[in-house]
Amino acid sequence: METRGPIIRFALLEKVLNLARANSLWPITFGLACCAIEMMCAAASRFDLDRFGANVFRPSPRQADLMIVTGTITKKMAPAIVTLYEQMPSPKWVIAYGNCAISGGPFVFEGQYNIIEGIDKLIPVDVYVPGCPPRPEALIEGIIKLEEKITGWRRFPVAERRW
Amino acid sequence: MRALRKAFGDDVVKIGFGLVGAGFVALLVLLLLGLLGMKVWKLFAPYGREAIRALVGLVGVLGFVLFNALLLVWAERKVAGHMQRRIGPKEVGPYGLLQSIADSLKLLGKEILTPRFVDRPLYYLAPIIVFIPVLVAFVVIPFDARLQVRDINVGIVLILAFSSLNVIAILLAGWSSVNKYSLIGGIRSVSQNIAYEIPLLLSLLPVILLAGSLSMKEIVEAQSKAWFVFYQPIAFIIYFICAVAETNRTPFDLPEAESELVAGFHTEYSGMRFAMFFLAEFTNVFIVSAIATTFFLGGYKGPVLPGIIWFFIKSYVLVFIIMWFRWTFPRVRFDQLLNFSWKFLIPLALANLIVTGWCLKL
Amino acid sequence: MVAEQLIEDIRSSRPGVEVKEVPYEQRGYWFDLSTGPEDIEEVARLFDRHGYYIEDVCCVDFKEYLQLVYHFNHWDDPRRISVRVNLSAEDPVAPSISNVYEGAGWHEREIHEFFGVHFENHPNLSYLFLHEGIDFYPLRKEKVPVPEEKKRLLSSLPVSESDDVFFVNMGPQHPSTHGVLRLILKMNGEYIERAEPVLGYLHRMQEKMAENRTYLKYLPNASRLDYVGAMSYNLCYVRAMERLCGIEVPPRAEYVRVIAVELNRIASHLLWLGTYLLDLGAFTPFLYAFDDREQILDLLEGITGSRLTYCYCRFGGLYNDVDEDFVEGVKAFLKRMWKRFKIYNDLVTGNVIFIHRTRDIGVIPKEVARRYGVTGPNLRASGVSYDLRKAEPYGAYRELGVEVAVGEKGDALDRYLVRLQEMENSLRVIERAIKELPDGPYRTEVKKLKPPEGDVYFAVEGPRGEVGIYIVSDGSTTPYRLKWRSPSFSNLTCFPEISKGVLIADAVSILGSLDLVIPEMDR
Repeated sequence: METRGPIIRFALLEKVLNLARANSLWPITFGLACCAIEMMCAAASRFDLDRFGANVFRPSPRQADLMIVTGTITKKMAPAIVTLYEQMPSPKWVIAYGNCAISGGPFVFEGQYNIIEGIDKLIPVDVYVPGCPPRPEALIEGIIKLEEKITGWRRFPVAERRW
Repeated sequence: MRALRKAFGDDVVKIGFGLVGAGFVALLVLLLLGLLGMKVWKLFAPYGREAIRALVGLVGVLGFVLFNALLLVWAERKVAGHMQRRIGPKEVGPYGLLQSIADSLKLLGKEILTPRFVDRPLYYLAPIIVFIPVLVAFVVIPFDARLQVRDINVGIVLILAFSSLNVIAILLAGWSSVNKYSLIGGIRSVSQNIAYEIPLLLSLLPVILLAGSLSMKEIVEAQSKAWFVFYQPIAFIIYFICAVAETNRTPFDLPEAESELVAGFHTEYSGMRFAMFFLAEFTNVFIVSAIATTFFLGGYKGPVLPGIIWFFIKSYVLVFIIMWFRWTFPRVRFDQLLNFSWKFLIPLALANLIVTGWCLKL
Repeated sequence: MVAEQLIEDIRSSRPGVEVKEVPYEQRGYWFDLSTGPEDIEEVARLFDRHGYYIEDVCCVDFKEYLQLVYHFNHWDDPRRISVRVNLSAEDPVAPSISNVYEGAGWHEREIHEFFGVHFENHPNLSYLFLHEGIDFYPLRKEKVPVPEEKKRLLSSLPVSESDDVFFVNMGPQHPSTHGVLRLILKMNGEYIERAEPVLGYLHRMQEKMAENRTYLKYLPNASRLDYVGAMSYNLCYVRAMERLCGIEVPPRAEYVRVIAVELNRIASHLLWLGTYLLDLGAFTPFLYAFDDREQILDLLEGITGSRLTYCYCRFGGLYNDVDEDFVEGVKAFLKRMWKRFKIYNDLVTGNVIFIHRTRDIGVIPKEVARRYGVTGPNLRASGVSYDLRKAEPYGAYRELGVEVAVGEKGDALDRYLVRLQEMENSLRVIERAIKELPDGPYRTEVKKLKPPEGDVYFAVEGPRGEVGIYIVSDGSTTPYRLKWRSPSFSNLTCFPEISKGVLIADAVSILGSLDLVIPEMDR
């Protein structure tokens, strides 16, 4: 379902709004499997997500704007995920965290009958964070990359690769 | 309205808020000019000085409410962070000071979703009604000896009467979002608020007896010799507990109980409507602390600094203690909550009142 | 002893049952009973009368026939007895033992949906794990479609109740970090009349995958079953294969395994502590617990390479040796951790609100625990001193010994205190192990893992209870059948019983205190 953007556009207003949206991403509490523990670790004291303003985990999808899909998606769970995604008001973003959310992970084998290989078969994904499970620093890097996607400007610049 | 919004998307929101903001800025400029001495009141001459004073006061109050909300949102996250061995927001501006501004801008720019089956008039009304008692309460709070918008001689009754509107707003929010969890959250909130309003009143009555008046300013003036907290320590503790319960903060935050009922009565609200509930809650926290300061801690009275600074210091210390409660205690179960109020707090407050009245008669 | 008395009774009442004694060191159980489907209910009743608890119910598809395997064990006489029943492959029917052992009810539902065995007299034989629309029995060796008349059992929700009550659905998306568990609660006002958990939202086909992978390739998947206490699962799988193939493990490897498992146990209990208090509404202990847990994760990451899902124990020993850094780090951690208990006791244990939320909530009586197969700290909190590290010692626990923490009443407060005590006991075990750490090789070389034919059962004491694995091998390099006995599954079977007539807030408290991890239930 396409949402048409607004007809009138204010460039400076869009820039300011995008900066505000990037600095105050509110995730939805949505942990499925092992990667959820690493997400909780990322929200804990050592790898603090609150530094970037992203630690207000809202339990209701109507108040959240970031969905971090952590863990394997089974066929039983898939309708619930799609419902949750559709309940979130736009603008909304999705981070696929962990190998299972990217492409099924270590549970793909010949004759598998119950998992969906990757969340991007169901909902559009903005950032992919690989790993099994990825370290919490990887989640922080994923959020910084998402911020770069929203605002066009990267917070902690990385040195350019020469190869 | 709906056709307009469909055509222009959420730009209507942006434009509308732009206009309101422009009007607000204009009023602030007038206020500034007036403070600087320019004869701004000639504009309002037909209406008399009291009207100007009321207008200026209201604008100041509105500005303070918004500033206070921004400050408390930032402070809550910083305080929580430091109590939990981490730092709170740090990247967004120096010391994370711009965090609340980023949050509010983001909420302003969010899509305003209305679920299909909600009860429209009530659904739209609830966030508005939740803000009314907040603004009215600020009319009578004495920030300084002469910084009070209007010194009504039944000041505290006004505040308490309007704070019951809070309950109606929550019930409307819970009922109109056609959702089992919101309904349960709304009903829990109603019974909790009703149960804790009674000991709140009963614990304020001894102070009113001591001061001999219902006007907030006179109560502060009656504390010139000693603060009332030394005369009425039990009443202070009861009042504080009831205040935490009235504002739906932990340990009494069952209506918003996250781990039990998704998000309670404001589950179906998104964007700026949700921000209204959020703002109203933080401003309520400040109001109950301000009332506690006025009634028990001497209001704006203090030695060296100007009164308004003392007032803010005392109020914000109490706000900090309320935040401290949130990050320390687990949640109380619902029947234990009601039991605590009806079977313990009300008899204690009544006993306190009777003892106070008896002592005063002697 | 109890086992001999039981066998006497069985021989006298049902002479058709064959009883064999089996070498424990190779098989993991002591006695092997074979019976026909008509005798199994009476045999189960005899087991019940003698006080056995149901450990596991499993089904194996030997293509010409299906075999049901029941494992029973006793708290005072911990010698495992397994009972086998052979059923025909075309129309497998067996009587249900859920009238005797209610905990077997869910196991039988699982066997029904994966193998197609029909259990007579079962109160609710509907699907537990699989999604709507699946039309074959997944764990059979060939693809067997579901017959038409059985398709009405696919839906697992009860229908047509009266108007007075209403249903509240908790989950599968939880704010309370349990994972994807869905509870359908039939409410009467604020009181629960019946709670019906719906599982299967994280069913990741572990058992089918094991049949498609070699033993070595399946090793990383074992620890993803219970990611919080992953070391126990890793250890259980590796030791089961070592028992089956008769591989000797050097003593240094045994000691380091014990240290790693106990560290993991402390980490798991810390995570439980944090999330339980988060359920109850206290936000801060969550962060303190995670802080301590990070220290442990750093230590374990130094030797294993992963923070969460370990693959450290390998067949014959360990993956990597342990160096001086680790030993010094463990000593420093021990010194620090002893002081941290004071913080938790100050903040939580003495808190009046916390005590009111947990005292006398969710009492599990001993009989209920026995019939449902509850193990681990939940059982010990009810007053039964049964710990597999002491009852069936394995590895270096024979030399080190373990103190067992026991509660009194079995309410949520007791479960909390037992787990705190267990953390302290684990610290003591680690102290002893670090002091006596022997030198030597850390691994015996295993050239090619070719296990003999036969089956083996191995059980360890995980942080949640008894973690068991039952492997049937047909002599090839992939397992023929691999069945996990997961403690959370058996612990959750008693939830509908103990949550009758409680408030919703209490249901959340009980669920949290049972310490469930969903992936090991759903496998």
